Formats: sequence, structure tokens, C-alpha cells
Amino acid sequence: MATSGSMGVAALFLRRAVAARASRALVAFATSRRLLRTSPPSRAFAKELFLGKIEKKEVFPFPEVSQDELNEINQFVGPVEKFFTEEVDSERIDREGKIPKETLEKLKSLGLFGLQVPEEYGGLGLSNTMYARLGEIVGLDASIAVTLAAHQAIGLKGIILAGTKEQKAKYLPKLASGEHIAAFCLTEPSSGSDAASIKSRATLSEDKKHYILNGSKVWITNGGLANVFTVFAKTEVVDSDSSVKDKITAFIVERAFGGVTNGKPEDKLGIRGSNTCEVHFENTKVPIENVLGEVGGGFKVAMNILNSGRFSMGSTVAGMLKKLIEMTAAYACTRKQFNKNLSEFGLIQEKFALMAQKAYVMESMAYLTAGMLDQPGFPDCSIEAAMVKVFSSEGAWQCVSEALQILGGSGYVKDYPYERFLRDSRILLIFEGTNEILRMYIALTGLQHAGRVLTARIKELKRGNMTTIIETVGQRLRDSLGRTVDLGLTGKLGAVHPSVADSASKLEENVYYFGRTVETLLLRFGKTITEEQMILKRVANILINLYGMTAVLSRASHSIRVGIRNHDHEVLLANIFCAEAYYQNLFTLSQLDKHSPENLDEQIKKVSQQILEKQAYVCAHPLDRTS
Amino acid sequence: MSWAQAILLARGLSRGWGGICGAALMGAPFSQVPLRVPRGLHCSAAAHNSDSWLVPPGPEPRKGPTKALTLHEELFQQAPEGARDKANFVRAVQNFGQHNVHKRGHVDFIYLALRKMREYGVERDLAVYNLLLDIFPKEVFRPRSIFQSMFIHYPRQQECGIAVLEQMESHGVMPNKETEFLLIQIFGRKSYPMLKYVRMKLWFSRFKNINPFPVPRDLPQDPLDLAKLGLRHMEPNLSATVTIYQMPSSKDSTGTADPTEPHIVGIQTPDQQAALAHHNPARPIFVEGPFSLWLRDKCVYYHILRADLLPPEEREVEEIPEEWNLHYPMQLDLDYGRSGWDDYEFDIHKVEEGPVFAICMAGAHDQATLAKWIQGLQETNPALAQIPVVFRLAGSTGELLASSSGLEEPPPPPPPPEGQEEEEDSQQRQQQGQS
Repeated sequence: MATSGSMGVAALFLRRAVAARASRALVAFATSRRLLRTSPPSRAFAKELFLGKIEKKEVFPFPEVSQDELNEINQFVGPVEKFFTEEVDSERIDREGKIPKETLEKLKSLGLFGLQVPEEYGGLGLSNTMYARLGEIVGLDASIAVTLAAHQAIGLKGIILAGTKEQKAKYLPKLASGEHIAAFCLTEPSSGSDAASIKSRATLSEDKKHYILNGSKVWITNGGLANVFTVFAKTEVVDSDSSVKDKITAFIVERAFGGVTNGKPEDKLGIRGSNTCEVHFENTKVPIENVLGEVGGGFKVAMNILNSGRFSMGSTVAGMLKKLIEMTAAYACTRKQFNKNLSEFGLIQEKFALMAQKAYVMESMAYLTAGMLDQPGFPDCSIEAAMVKVFSSEGAWQCVSEALQILGGSGYVKDYPYERFLRDSRILLIFEGTNEILRMYIALTGLQHAGRVLTARIKELKRGNMTTIIETVGQRLRDSLGRTVDLGLTGKLGAVHPSVADSASKLEENVYYFGRTVETLLLRFGKTITEEQMILKRVANILINLYGMTAVLSRASHSIRVGIRNHDHEVLLANIFCAEAYYQNLFTLSQLDKHSPENLDEQIKKVSQQILEKQAYVCAHPLDRTS
Repeated sequence: MSWAQAILLARGLSRGWGGICGAALMGAPFSQVPLRVPRGLHCSAAAHNSDSWLVPPGPEPRKGPTKALTLHEELFQQAPEGARDKANFVRAVQNFGQHNVHKRGHVDFIYLALRKMREYGVERDLAVYNLLLDIFPKEVFRPRSIFQSMFIHYPRQQECGIAVLEQMESHGVMPNKETEFLLIQIFGRKSYPMLKYVRMKLWFSRFKNINPFPVPRDLPQDPLDLAKLGLRHMEPNLSATVTIYQMPSSKDSTGTADPTEPHIVGIQTPDQQAALAHHNPARPIFVEGPFSLWLRDKCVYYHILRADLLPPEEREVEEIPEEWNLHYPMQLDLDYGRSGWDDYEFDIHKVEEGPVFAICMAGAHDQATLAKWIQGLQETNPALAQIPVVFRLAGSTGELLASSSGLEEPPPPPPPPEGQEEEEDSQQRQQQGQS
């Protein structure tokens, strides 16, 4: 972790510095002051959005890495990129349904199996930012990306996060070198997100030196390749009140412990080269030293691993999209119809703008999040990471679909790689927590924070405290009369550059009214808001947009000020995205209003109820007659 | 026209006008209307046995047509006994046309034919109705002037035409273009049968699919199948399983089962099974019934296995385990809940009831039979072995039973396998209602 933290300090310093000055020079200075930063990690950005506030110092200026680090990573990226573009045969991997041995060996020798393993354990010890940068290249082949992610983003992450020194020393070196491959075994036939229905069980042996592990896990990526498994199973734990309870415990299980078998690899729609199969544990003897974290503390371990692994999807997808833009642009500029290149048609141009915009936003979000994660003090950026995951997976699906639209028939046949991109990108919306579940997470975590902060206020409102009520009503009146929101982003010493000031005021307005809406929602539903999934989805959608807006504003402002190449293009993209997101947000906010005509929740619920009751499409055939 | 005829006519016309306004306008038929309405609500098909109410009852002493009636009766007698089908019915109608070139007495013949239709099993045949209408002489009854149409032109014939349509209506037969054509030919556009026709056209299509829980037109004859149908009808949950706990041991030709081994069919959903498994064995559960269920013109009886609602202090609050959802919090740590504006929980129409664990239909309603059901249920619901089961068979009889038999008599009349007994039953009810 050579320079992690530099960005944060740079951020601190820059806040006080004159905003328009180039920051590169400051970084070196800031790095030397790293140790001075002792304040506790500031409050997370996304959570504050729920209160209608923008925590500027978290996101402005856009995080930057030092020149040294950049050189270092570029040296590293070069050979990897060369390997991926020249040697990896994605078509063959997809066709044969496995990654060839020599490719795997080469990946290992490049060090890609231990990117985030600390250097003292033989890994590269990359910061999150650097990890994201490499993800861009790894993303060129989805099967390899998934295999690597299953290995290090979740498979061995548990050991890094919760392992003891001995466990780290024992397992990490071999895992980092790729000699051993890791897998993460959580999902069971009866249990996806539902931890209570985990059936695998580990019982302490009589000599109390082993756990006997029994159970089956499904959809385990790398299940057939892995030698080291992070397994979650129920154990009996004596509670503080001396009652025996079943709790989840995490274990490090080696294949060599015996009793570990796996089924045959699943035949999948996409990411066909990754190995996904069932893994069975039958009376596997796991020494008690291999308990990961505390006995009974497996739930937290699992949550931490899952939450930490998500942010990298943004850059991975962006890498894939950039490649896709190159390929489709080449096609659009050569294919002629009606004596015109495809590129001259407005409807085709629009698609390229969309792809570029999505790639730009997800890149910005991913690196902003990575930068936040790299700040010292283990900041909790799980909401941000989840937002990156949701946005990038949906962006990927949408963009690949649009790209296929540009390509027409050639996008649909196996002679070209495009259909593989489509198949591969579909899984992104499903794994690492489906997007629906992550939206719940995003919304509920934020609402929990806002709900706590607003408790006093809401209680007073409910009790009927006149001053609070009058204050609120007055505020609402002023809002409805169209107040201009100023959260300090724009202006002379504002955090954003004047070129994107308009977009910044849009963001400010959205954030302010989002805060008001959150307050109303909490007032309306209180803790029972957990049942209102359609509302939560909208809250999450707004938040994702707000975060995306913030990320692009921060990045574009930074690019202009620093003078990055083609920053005018960035400004265009940023402004387009912000305007679109702004209007989307306005619409979504009005949908959150109980009595607005945009709110169709009741009707939607009724329709689905009737369908689900009959378990069929309800309407009669259009040709049916009554007479 | 005699007084009696005039009243009859007025009554008939009021029906022809579409019931609603007719009942409101006319004083005379008003007394009958409320009697019929509740039955209609219960089950529209229950009116079958009296569907010829517009048709004057056969043996009614009349001066003129009595002779003619017997005459026409013979037309139907001509058909060989036992072959009462459409072909013979059509032949009888055609015979009338051939024997009676001047169509003398055609109104009486149509009334007679309408009464006979059920016997011949053609009461739902549109072609036959059109054939009946075709008996009317064409063009004769058409009003030629505005005054003729203002004062009911050929009332007896119009009334007869309405009667045909009325019978179509009660059997759910939708008139078609041919009907319209015939009516225009016979009575003209501005006539009451035509009005009736237009209204039928309008409302039939709207009412045809009004029932969200449609019952098949032809009910299964086998009581076992009928019971299955009834159970499925009452339990809309598609994941419910129907179990036959006992097959009827022997059947005679009439389809009635041997009383010693009647059929027992039950239905239970997985949710009900789970609820039963969680039932506190200290609290008894009850077998209650029989309750009646009308499926078109058939009445079946069912029993339920239910428990009383738990008193509020004993209800377990569903606890959300702490470490449940790996991905998002299942509950928020806030100490305020939903505000009144968004609280739809309270509903003045909602009555809390105890849980129903299973429903069954059996060929007999005695405790021995139902005990077999409970025994059968135990196979899939082992928890039932620990729970005391109380049979409350007479106590909670529905209104039907209360009116048809005394309270001391526990078993209700067994579900009639054929429509006949039950017709008597409903007639009995009707009489009680009238008295």
C-alpha cells in the first residue's frame, strides 16, 4: 500500500487550496504530509446525500495517483495488456468452456492471482485504484475476469480481511502465486441471500480439535479448480445467556482435508470459460485453526467480503466497453448503406454517444470509489461500491445491446465476438448480489442513516410540536415557490469548474429535494419502509444517479483544471449525463410522491397480484368474443 | 281480453322490458320480485326449475286453448318413448307446421314446446329456439302505423315471443343474427320482443364473463369429480393439493355411493400445512360443517378443519432474526413506524378469523366418515396426532340447514346426486320464505 492515502490527503489540502490550481504538483507535497492526517474518517458521501447534503471533501477533487505510482502501474499494465490482446483466445475459451492451462499459467506468472495480497505475503499489494486499473484489462475476457475475481475478490478476500497472521502466512503466498486457487462457498440450493436457511453444518469433534463439515454448495465459481475454499456453515454457538444457537462460521477448507468433491461444471449462457460447479463436503475435517474470524462470526465475514468486492466491476466493464466502442466504431465507419457510412446516421451516432457516456460515468464512479477506499482508516464505502456495481452492470447490458444493434446481423452470429459480449454481460446483473438486492441495500443502508439522524425531528413532528411543524411547512412552502439550491458546489471558489456549473446546480437541486423526499418517506413509513420495495428501488435509482453525477462532475472539473487531454469531450459527456440524470431524478422524485399522477404503484401491485394468483397472463385473447 | 289475461300480459311485458324498470313500473308483479332476487344471487342456475315461469303452467284451466293443448301434446307423444332428443323435438315442431298450415294455435304450441325443451335436452340449443320463433307467421304482427306500435300490437303473440327469449336468457343462450332477422320479420323493429332482444344482446355480452370464478357449464356427474371441482373452486391457491382419502367403495347404476364407504376428498395448501404444524397442541381444532356450496344447479356440502383465533396476548410476534439477510438489512433500527396516512392495515370490513387448515367434501356427513378424513390428514400433517380434534357438526350449520331441518337433527340431507331432491329442497325453502 505504497501510496494509499495520498489522494485523501490531497483532497484535504486541495479543499483549502485555490480550486483552480493544478493539483499534480500538490500531490508530492501532500504525500509528505500523509502522517499528519489523524482525524477519524469523515462521514461517507452517499449516506449524507440522504440528508440532502453533499460531503464535498469526500469527492472533490477527483482522486489522483502520484506520478511514480502511475509509472509503476503503466509498466505493469503494458505486458498484461499485450498478453490479453495477443495471446488470450477468448473465442476458444468460450467454445471449449475452459481456460487453457497455458493461459492460466501465464496469468499466474504475470502475478494476476495476487493483485491485492499484501507484498509481505508474496502478492503485489495493489491499492484499490491500481486494482481497478488492472481490472480494465482483465475485463477484455469475461471468463478470465470472473475466474480471477472469484479467486481474489471473494475467494481469498476473507483471509486478508479476517484471517489471523498464521492463516495469512500459511495460505496467502501460495494463493498469491496462483499455485492454489481459491473459491468462495456460500450459496446453497436453499439459500441465496437468506443466511438462516444455510444447511451446511460444522460440528466440533470430540477432541475439540476439528470441525466436521457436511453440506453442499452450489454455483461455486472455481469450484472445480480451487484448492482452498472459504466455506460458510452453521455451528452451534453458546450465547451470552448460555443458550445454544445456530450461527454461521467461516472456515478455510483445503481440498486436501478430504471429503471435498465437486460436480461437473455447469453449462452456462455466458462466461463459459469460468468453472462453476457444485461443491460437496462430506465429513471434511477442518482443524479449529482454520476458523476464519470468530466462531459464529461468519455472517459478518461474509458480508464484509461481499461488500468489498463490488467496486471493481465498474472499471472492468468500462474496459470492455471501450474495446467494444473501438470495434463497433470501426464497423460503423466502413459499412456503407445508401452511399453513406453508418456513422453518418443520427440513430447510430446516438448509440455511440450513449456508450461513451455510460463508459465515462462508470469509469468515474469506479475510480472515485476506489480513491475513497484507498483513503486511510478503512472507510466504509459499501453503498458506493454497490452503486458502481448496479450502474456498471446495467450499463454493460444496455451498451452491448446497443452495439449489437449497430452491428445488425453480424452481432448475432458466432463468427464475431459480439454475441459473446452480450452473453457474458448478462451475468453481471445477477451475481455478486442481484441488482434488485443491491438496490435494497443501497436504499435501506442510507435510510437507516438518515432515519437515525432525523429521529428527533420526526418524533417532534409526530408529536405535533408546533415550532417544528411550522418550520417544516414554511420550508416546504419556500421549496414549492421555487427556491434556488446552493450547496456550495458552484460559485467563485466552488468545487466544480464553471464549464459544468449548470450540471452542478442540477445536482444540487436534486440532492436537496432528494433529502426532503427522504424525510417525507421516513415520516410516512418509519421503519416499515423495508416493506416498500418499489419505493426503495426508486430511492436507490436516484442515489445512483446522484453519485454518477457527482463522479462525472468531479472528474470533469479535475480534468479541465489539470488540463487533461480532450477534457472538452469529458465536459460534453458530463453535461449530457447530468442533464439526463437530472430529469430522470425529477421524474422519480415525483413518483415517490404519494398522490402524484406518476405514481402507479397501486395499479402495478394489483396487476401483479392478479397475475400471480392465476399464475398466468390474465387477459383474454384479443380475438375472443362474447357473442 | 279478460282481466286475468290483461294482468298476465302486463306482467309478462314488464319482464320483457328488462326486469328492472318493469318491476319498478308495475305494481302487480312487484310482490314476486324480491323472492326471486336472492336466489338469483345465490346461483343464477338455481332458477332452472322454474325457468318457464313466463310460460303459463300447463294444466291451468283455460277456456279456449285447453283442447288445443292436448292436441299439441300429442304431437310430442308421437315420438317413440325413450328417444327424447333434438331430432324428435325438431320433428314435432315441423309436424306442427305441416299439420297446421294456418298455424292455428301456434302460441299455445310454442308455450308447450318451451316447457318440453328441458325434457328433450335442447334447452341450450339456439337453433331450436330459432326454429320455435320460426313458427310465428311472418309480417302479420308487424305494426303498420305509429299507433299500432304505441298500443301493444298483438300482445299475446308478443308476450309469447318474449317468453321464448326469456327462456333463452335463463339458459344463457345468446341470440344471433338469425334470431334478430326472425324477430324483425315477425314483430317488426318497434316491438317488445325486439326490445328484449336488443337488451339481451347488450347485457349478455357484458355479463357473460362477469363471474371471476367461473364454473364449467357441464358439471361432472361423478360426485367425486364434483367434489374435486368444488374444492378447487373454494381454494384458489394453485399449489394446493387435492387428496382422495377414500374412494367410494361401490357404485350402483344411479351413481349413488354405498353409504358405508362414501368418498372423502380433501384439499390443503402448503401454507395450511405449515400453519397446522405450528399450531399449539394445547388448543383444540374443530371439524365444522356441513356448509353448502352451490355449483350451478348442484349443491355440495363441505367441512372445514379450523381453529379459533389466538387471543392477542398469545400471538407470537414474528421475529426477524438478527443475521438473516446477507445483502441488506431486513429491518431498520428506528423507533418510529408508519404514519396514519399510509396505514392501510385497519379496515372496517376486515374481520379476523381463525385459521382454516383444510377443507374436505365427503359423501356422508357423520363423524365416523370425517374421522377418516382426519386420519388421512395425519399422514401429511404429523402434528395433527397431538392436537385434540373436536367435531362440531351440527352447531354451525348454514342458513340452508337451519331452514330445511330442525336443529336437533345433526345430519343434513345428503347431497342429492341428482337435481331432483335438491329441487324439492329449494322449493321447500322457497315456500318457507314465502310463508
